[in-house]
Amino acid sequence: MTSLPQLTTDPAARPSPPPPERPVPPGRAVAAATRPAAIGSGLARAARALAGPRAGALDAVAFVLVAVLVVAVVAGPWLAPHDPYRADPTAALLPPGGSYLLGTDDAGRDILSRLLVGARTTLLAATGVVVLSTLVGVLVAAVAAAGPRWLDETLLRVVDVFLAFPSIVLALGIAAALGPSLTSVVVAMVVAMWPATARLVRSVMRETMSSQYVEAARLTGMSSPRVVARHVLPNSLDSVYVQLGLDVSGAIVLIAGLAFLGVGAPPPSADWGSMVAQGREYVTTAWWVALFPGLAITLAAVAFGLLGDALRARLDPTVVAP
Amino acid sequence: MPRFLVKRLGLAVLSVWGVATLVFLMSQLIPGDAARIAAGRTATAAQVEQARERLGLDLPVAEQYVHYLGGLLRGDLGWSASTKQPVAIDLQVVLPVTLQLVALTMVLTVLVAVPLGVLAALRHGRAADGATRLVAILGGGIPVFWLALMLQWGLASRLGWAPISGANGFGLAPPVVTGATVVDSLLAGRPDMAADSLWHLLLPALALSAPFMAVVVRNVRSTMLGVLGTDYIAFAVAKGVPQHRLVLRHALPAAAGSTLTILGMQLGWMLGAALLVESVFAMPGLGTYLHQAIVNQDTFAVLGGVLVTGTVFVVAGLVVDLLQIGIDPRVRASHQIGAA
Amino acid sequence: MSALLEVRELTVQVRRPGGPVLVEGVSFDIAAGERLALVGESGSGKSTVAKALVQLDPTVTVRGSVRCDGVELVGASGRALRRVRGSQVSMIFQDPMTALNPVRRIVDQVAEPLLIRGVPRREAHARAVEMLDRLGVPRAAERARAFPSEFSGGMRQRVVMATALVGGPRLLVADEPTTALDVRVQEQVLDLIEEQSRELDLAVLFITHDLGTVAGLADRVAVMRSGRVVEERPVDDLFAAPDHPYTRGLLASVPRIDADPDRRLVTVADHLALEEAGHA
Repeated sequence: MTSLPQLTTDPAARPSPPPPERPVPPGRAVAAATRPAAIGSGLARAARALAGPRAGALDAVAFVLVAVLVVAVVAGPWLAPHDPYRADPTAALLPPGGSYLLGTDDAGRDILSRLLVGARTTLLAATGVVVLSTLVGVLVAAVAAAGPRWLDETLLRVVDVFLAFPSIVLALGIAAALGPSLTSVVVAMVVAMWPATARLVRSVMRETMSSQYVEAARLTGMSSPRVVARHVLPNSLDSVYVQLGLDVSGAIVLIAGLAFLGVGAPPPSADWGSMVAQGREYVTTAWWVALFPGLAITLAAVAFGLLGDALRARLDPTVVAP
Repeated sequence: MPRFLVKRLGLAVLSVWGVATLVFLMSQLIPGDAARIAAGRTATAAQVEQARERLGLDLPVAEQYVHYLGGLLRGDLGWSASTKQPVAIDLQVVLPVTLQLVALTMVLTVLVAVPLGVLAALRHGRAADGATRLVAILGGGIPVFWLALMLQWGLASRLGWAPISGANGFGLAPPVVTGATVVDSLLAGRPDMAADSLWHLLLPALALSAPFMAVVVRNVRSTMLGVLGTDYIAFAVAKGVPQHRLVLRHALPAAAGSTLTILGMQLGWMLGAALLVESVFAMPGLGTYLHQAIVNQDTFAVLGGVLVTGTVFVVAGLVVDLLQIGIDPRVRASHQIGAA
Repeated sequence: MSALLEVRELTVQVRRPGGPVLVEGVSFDIAAGERLALVGESGSGKSTVAKALVQLDPTVTVRGSVRCDGVELVGASGRALRRVRGSQVSMIFQDPMTALNPVRRIVDQVAEPLLIRGVPRREAHARAVEMLDRLGVPRAAERARAFPSEFSGGMRQRVVMATALVGGPRLLVADEPTTALDVRVQEQVLDLIEEQSRELDLAVLFITHDLGTVAGLADRVAVMRSGRVVEERPVDDLFAAPDHPYTRGLLASVPRIDADPDRRLVTVADHLALEEAGHA
């Protein structure tokens, strides 16, 4: 065997070691090393992720669709070529063409105009529901994570019970119980949707909590609620942003479904689900009355679904894109 | 009985209890006088008081809850104001119809979506994969009730490829035993009736399956992609295993557990969506029953229906868990360690 | 007499326009029954070479020549490659914990190289059990029906080896088979490989970054660095008088139990710098 080379202490023979550092108090060192993304910068990161390069064809489609929808929501009433609420029996059930681009319904109202106006009802309600249910879900998950063990277990069981119902059945029951109005639908849907978010966020939090920077924070003596608020929560929110897109997609369809069954904003509201229900009777003769609202629902749901997918691909490249 | 089985059954019982409690809470939420609703709109004040007493609504909530649970254990779900029958009887009639639809849809979904997902994974990154993903995304966005309506219009009304509605063709209805037409047909020894029933179920099942196919295809695809990237698959390739055997006997069995879980989760949501499809095709199932009950403000019927839905969900979850133990040796092993 | 395995100018490149070259111009021979160790640091390309022999990695293009028993493997059809894999050339990987399919029985997995070649099931299973027994798996017949989760790491590596050997290969490619195991088990596995190699006249290409494991097992050693072979010598020659400074650096970086505890450990980079400066 060759003998080991003798290392000299000649500074020219080997790189000089870095100068010794001034000792830093351990707490601050840990805090500095583990400073997580705050909620605000997290959202900024999500927004940046969306705008970044690597935008594929599907993502472009998603953006275009969402942009169209936003325009419809914001400027719908002004863009409508006809009055969406004025009934004109002489113009009933006209096929698409002429001044009625998408035809008219059984009361002679222009379908395109009603779609534009209905965008507001449907989309705003869906977005509102998702924002509320997400807030509730995240809150419950955070409380479960930060609190004592028994609270965590109990909340988890409660969530499981809620999840034992298909959302539409739950929403239907509650909305029916509370009476027909937009408010009751919103309340019913929030109640139906928060458990899924809570369960998802809780499991992400559980994973985050076992990571090393959280352990480090704990070791510095930080109390549980603070650990959750400052470290666990912000880092678990990525999955929430991704889920938002998918949730809005689901909420749009759910709201439409409830409206179809007659549970929702009362007539003459122009929400898309009710429009499909109205078109149901005439589907064999005036197919356009049911077709276009349903198409609108589909496009909106797909748009937000793609948005959610795009976010997922950006924010979590380790997951195989579904 | 092994300890884990006891635990799992206990959990199921607990879940059903939770479901029942939630339904009870919902019943307390309803604004208005429950006794009046139960007595009917045309009831006199005396009849309302009678109803109140009969239903125990003058008792404190806690006692009502106990009575309620007791009733459930006896199979008493209350009285339907619209059908003038015990809700339990009503449900016995309508539930099999819905379960049959859901079962058929599940079969359809598995037969189509699983191979598609596997195919997409195998052709990862190429045209077929992209096309499958696109279809999956569309399927996920289409509202079932609209799809049902469109299918009814397009395939049934316009093209005549399938019946518009109804459960059986003229003269082909089987004698009622369970309420599920296919089962009843087979029990009566009439495969022609069974075929006819299936024919009538085709469009509803197709419409109902759309969103679930989307989810299953995506899930099977990503599970398979995960499996195909594992060391043990690489090792199998190094052994010289040809692709068809690799997929069928190495990859699919490894992906089965995950897929089963997803399918189980879909079941509950499928029950919900079935509600909408039944409405379009005028099928006399649980969904239509619930809808009618809501329109008629038939409280007990609504609550009974909701309760049963939740219970079916819990039972499905239990079945899936037990199946998992059967098919996945890792799950078996972990349970044995737990019971040790 | 031509060698069992002849590798000439093997070049492996990532299958992408402008993809990086992982391995370049690698050539070596392995005679029947001979044991060649391929050593190098992480990223030197040794695993890439191993996988490229039977074209296991679809994300790379392989150029050059790999002849096994006269049959050219580079550019061979999928069918031809599958014929070779498991029967002429077997491969085992680093981590025994993930090398076995968790939902299939051990005996099915071990017997598979035979089953896919048409050996009847009963006979294939019998030979599988026999191989497990020969490799030291206790109560092989009954334990073969178990699932991988019931086996320990060392046992699983034996199962993996049994799978590799049951088809009667002429060459075993072992890609860091001991890295994931603890020391005592490492020794058992190395002994097993050597024993089987002698008993079955099996050539072994043994890939590792650990020089210690090489010493007892290999007949010859090839040293890889940055995708190239820098030196190839009989094992004793290499350890006694290495030609290449990199090899010397590798050897110098092995911590020795009799070294001065106050001395800083030498890295390969350190050593190369020292040589350059004329101090080694």
